[in-house]
Amino acid sequence: MNTFVSRFAPSSSALPHSKGAIAVEDDEKYSDLTWGSQAGFGHLGTKGIPSFKVPSLADPSAFLRMHTDDYADPSCRIKIQHGTTTLAFRFKGGIIVAVDSRATAGSYIASGTVKKVIEINPYLLGTMAGGAADCQYWETYLGIECRLHELRNRERISVAAASKFLSNLVYSYKGMGLSMGTMICGWDKTGPALFYVDSDGTRLKGDIFSVGSGSTYAYGVLDQGYHWDLSDEDAQELGRRSIYAAGHRDAYSGNTINLYHVKEQGWEFLGNYDVTKMHYDGPGNVPGATGGGYGYEVRTAGRSASDADAIDTSA
Amino acid sequence: MFLTRSEYDRGVNTFSPEGRLFQVEYAIEAIKLGSTTVGIRTPTGVVLGVEKRVQSPLLESSSIEKIMEIDTHLGCAMSGLTADARTMIDHARVTSQNHAFTFDERIKVESVTQAVCDLALRFGESMENEDAMMSRPFGVALLIAGIDELGPQLYHTDPSGTFVKYEAKAIGSGSEAAQAELQDKYHKSMSMKEAQILTLCVLKQVMEEKLDQHNVQLAQVTQEKGFEILSDALLKEAIEGM
Repeated sequence: MNTFVSRFAPSSSALPHSKGAIAVEDDEKYSDLTWGSQAGFGHLGTKGIPSFKVPSLADPSAFLRMHTDDYADPSCRIKIQHGTTTLAFRFKGGIIVAVDSRATAGSYIASGTVKKVIEINPYLLGTMAGGAADCQYWETYLGIECRLHELRNRERISVAAASKFLSNLVYSYKGMGLSMGTMICGWDKTGPALFYVDSDGTRLKGDIFSVGSGSTYAYGVLDQGYHWDLSDEDAQELGRRSIYAAGHRDAYSGNTINLYHVKEQGWEFLGNYDVTKMHYDGPGNVPGATGGGYGYEVRTAGRSASDADAIDTSA
Repeated sequence: MFLTRSEYDRGVNTFSPEGRLFQVEYAIEAIKLGSTTVGIRTPTGVVLGVEKRVQSPLLESSSIEKIMEIDTHLGCAMSGLTADARTMIDHARVTSQNHAFTFDERIKVESVTQAVCDLALRFGESMENEDAMMSRPFGVALLIAGIDELGPQLYHTDPSGTFVKYEAKAIGSGSEAAQAELQDKYHKSMSMKEAQILTLCVLKQVMEEKLDQHNVQLAQVTQEKGFEILSDALLKEAIEGM
């Protein structure tokens, strides 16, 4: 164990894992009773923000970075899932949330059926970009805190408060390897509300956000088509169309699209759309759909450079 | 009697030579000063009813909170030092949420009752390196009502940390008369409507004031709607149906 420590500790090995020792002592504050009665989660809830055990190393976050940073070292041992396109925007009819469903680990497509919208509760949605586990875990945890707020105060938590809780929570883990870029969407007393929260601790209130490797493509379509007075159908189509653009151009995004609409009575799941199908045939018979596919074959009408006939006629 | 007790009712964790913990027994006595609370289990749900003592005409009776929600499928009514119940119910809520978080399922009624009772005996002199514990036992009894895979259930907890399952139970100042009445009138195949009416009748018998929608509160847990405190309109309707 000690040779392992000295091998990986970047600072002098003469200073043995002092940080780790402190973390272990901290943990002993929680008595056996707490563990017995609350399924091991006695440190959650009443005691504020929970804490995890930290590896017994001088600099645990540097250790983690060394093995997870595939940008600096493509052959790193742990590849965290990064590529994504997610978007959410506010308009007169509420909030549209649209995400893709591809999970990549490096250049490998790990899954094409990821649920990147996390249903925190019936009137709050969170999106997933960055580490899938980090988003899923902490947004579910946010859900239980929101429910406790509701029980204690006999009032639903505001989107501002919920997103602030999350940003404070991730800030307390700053520099320790958390990776999340999320949008918290909901409808509260103030109407539709949208916040961007990421693992750096940034929290922004806004009308339009897109997060992930494909966000630039999504923003392009979104900014061009966005208007506050969009009808529900047009807004839903804009969300779909924007993620499609990212799924088409960004190698790390794609597969299918999940579309949600946040309304006054809570969120509504509108459907799952295949990106390839949308390219050739369109999203199908859904409100707001223009009819045909989004791809170029439809628009070039046989004159595409890749069309065998087109080459023949020009010759 | 007082003389023999005086030696052993000082320390909260000292047994008397007869093997009794007087402070815990006194805590149980404190419940008998509280307002009457009734719970009835039926095959389709559980009914909870409490008497709200409105000491002054200037007091807003809606601010007296003696029935509280633990989770969508769990509710709780209290009698005794109701301030103590807030600690217990918050613990129950946190336990219930943590259970849902870790296991993605609703907590069982017995498990949440067990968790509340684990708290009940965490009083006494704390060790040096421990966080401050509670200095005395809770002075409150709870009726915990809920529905899980075993159907509707009603549990009674007291300051000694004992919990027992009941078909129908009354606690508080009028509990003896109320319990006798329940034993007389309760039957296993009651409808929710009948249970509501029996709860109100029992409360009416033990209350000093005339029962109306301002000095009682009813709640129920059903399979369809989960826990709900009856609205003023529904409560009024139930009272008129007596």
